[in-house]
Amino acid sequence: MNDFSSGTQASVLMLFTALVTLTLLMCVMAGPDRDDLTNFYTGYRSLTPLKNGLAIAGDYISAATVLSTTGIVALAGYDGYVLAVSTALSLVLLMFLLAEPLRNAGRFTMGDVLARTMPGRAVRVAACVVTLAATLPFLVVQLSGAGSLLTFILNLPHVAGARTVCIVIVGSLMIIYAALGGMRGTAFIQMIKIVLLLGTSAVVAVLVLNRFDWSPGELLRAAQHGSGAGPAFLQQGLQLGTSAAERLDFIGLQITVVLGVACLPHITMRLYSAQDVPAVRRSMSWAVGTVTTFCLLVIILGTGAAALVGSRYITAADPQGRTSVLMLSQVLGGAPGSAGTTILYSAVAGVVFITLLSSVAGMTLAAASSLAHDLFAHAVRRGLSKPRTEMTVAVWTSVGVGIVAIGLSVLVQNWNVGVLTTLAICIGASAVAPALTYSLFWRGFTRTGLLATLYGGAACAMLLMVFSRAVSGTPTAVFPNADFDLYPLQSAGLVSVPFGYLAGWLGSRLDHRRRAAVSRENRRLYEESEARLLAAAE
Amino acid sequence: MEGQAMTYADENQHPPSGPAGSPWSRPEPQWYGYDAPGHDWYGQATWDEPAPQARPHQDDLTALRSAYRLLRRISTLTALGSFVVYVVLSCSAPGLMGAKIAGELSLGMALGVLQLVVTFAAVHWYGRSARRSVDPLARVIRERTAPAGGNAGAVR
Repeated sequence: MNDFSSGTQASVLMLFTALVTLTLLMCVMAGPDRDDLTNFYTGYRSLTPLKNGLAIAGDYISAATVLSTTGIVALAGYDGYVLAVSTALSLVLLMFLLAEPLRNAGRFTMGDVLARTMPGRAVRVAACVVTLAATLPFLVVQLSGAGSLLTFILNLPHVAGARTVCIVIVGSLMIIYAALGGMRGTAFIQMIKIVLLLGTSAVVAVLVLNRFDWSPGELLRAAQHGSGAGPAFLQQGLQLGTSAAERLDFIGLQITVVLGVACLPHITMRLYSAQDVPAVRRSMSWAVGTVTTFCLLVIILGTGAAALVGSRYITAADPQGRTSVLMLSQVLGGAPGSAGTTILYSAVAGVVFITLLSSVAGMTLAAASSLAHDLFAHAVRRGLSKPRTEMTVAVWTSVGVGIVAIGLSVLVQNWNVGVLTTLAICIGASAVAPALTYSLFWRGFTRTGLLATLYGGAACAMLLMVFSRAVSGTPTAVFPNADFDLYPLQSAGLVSVPFGYLAGWLGSRLDHRRRAAVSRENRRLYEESEARLLAAAE
Repeated sequence: MEGQAMTYADENQHPPSGPAGSPWSRPEPQWYGYDAPGHDWYGQATWDEPAPQARPHQDDLTALRSAYRLLRRISTLTALGSFVVYVVLSCSAPGLMGAKIAGELSLGMALGVLQLVVTFAAVHWYGRSARRSVDPLARVIRERTAPAGGNAGAVR
């Protein structure tokens, strides 16, 4: 498929090396001092709103968004357009609903927000468990994808050994970024990445539109033809099907994406590093603007890939279409081996590489921060550990999380693990989102309610996903030959999101009845901290 | 610190029913702010005692809370609502959404792209409204708590 001269490969490799060197340098220079916790977790809140906004957008647009969403647009047309809209909207919702109180309530991690009104180790442990449950699947899916992606980009032979090496290299770099850079270091990488990503995508989109004389009609006609689906390309249903259950599944998936993606801990963590409320608002404005622009570009890129590459070639290279952007850049550059092709392909490959690196680094940092701050510093040491110790622990947990993720990714590299993305989003929507909304806006929320939401929502999402049709029973499932699809949908959100909210509500009612004193104490703490929550008044 | 003993009139309303069975008709989480039975657990003693400035402080906080709640409700419900309508229409009326409105451009595609474009305006509107309605109230509360004895009672 990838018929390129060694010249292209050499330039791609050179670009990769240059990017890695540059970002590593920035990471070390911007990284925190040895015992400076605030710097490690929030970078002193010293970033301007524009920079912080770009970093939020960078964290938000993961490699999965860039590659999978473009692939879904290219292969499923309309369904992909809806996904692009819901992806952008999720961040809008975060901005409107949670961003400002979250910034005021939080310090370093999600555990800080939740434990603000209900102190105790159980809350910290639960926050850490859910953070891990939401970030690890996302991490594994991207790392294991990195293997096949890099072998495709560099045109290595498709053997397990080559992919394992790629995963280990990307994983090691990710550990270094997270451990050395902290929030500030990774913020700079995210900024570089989002600027490069937007620029390159804009150029590719312009080239696509230029190919069709700037006529959307022509582009769409060619895309319908290239997809082989005809008019169905522009109607809902290619991704999951058109029966009633499949349509319900589609609706459920989109709502879950809207509610869940932006709540994931590695995104919300960036909010704590904003200076004040107007700053977090401006940061989010920049982030939403950037992400929305990118989603518009994704629509053009995906449609362009369907039109110019054709779904037959896209699925031949990768059944989920994750390589469609790369293939599009090959087609657009002109004749194979020409300077145009080399430059364009190298640029896109470089951007994909840096996107991959930065998104896995951001997630590792979120998981490691939660382990160090919530589990170690507050649950184990009960908040008595020295900053220097916590910092050392944070560095080593980054290494630990990274190694675990690398190990898991190598193990599952031959499976179709795209379902893990759905799982992460479902946990975000059914455990993290209810816990945060209740904790921020409901003074009657209690400890039992919080634990029920976190554990119940996450467990419900996991259980349903295991028995869903994405794991078994269909040809595209993880285990196509097994048959334990008791839950007849592809995504758990339709059931698990209401379950998560219900669990939190019922748990709190239980506390009101059975342990009135405790629930009153929670309520008092909420009211005491309300001035801080709403107005950032200490 | 402040007059934490107060309960608010709007808290004693009847609790709502549980979350609805489907995620898109899920009521806004802040509605639960009304929930839970009224508590008089501090007794009346604190009512007689609080310093004169605690009362306006609570009023400011109440004003800020309602301003935030209104802004949140309008913005969130509009964003989420329009998207839910869009997705449900896409699934339940594919004929309508597939209708060609200009060349190959179908109604569904146009609405999808339109939502993305409108997002810019919505974010701008939100920032402006928040600066007008929420920020002045928040500033008053901050100024009151930071230096002791500030007399910023002008809001209400």
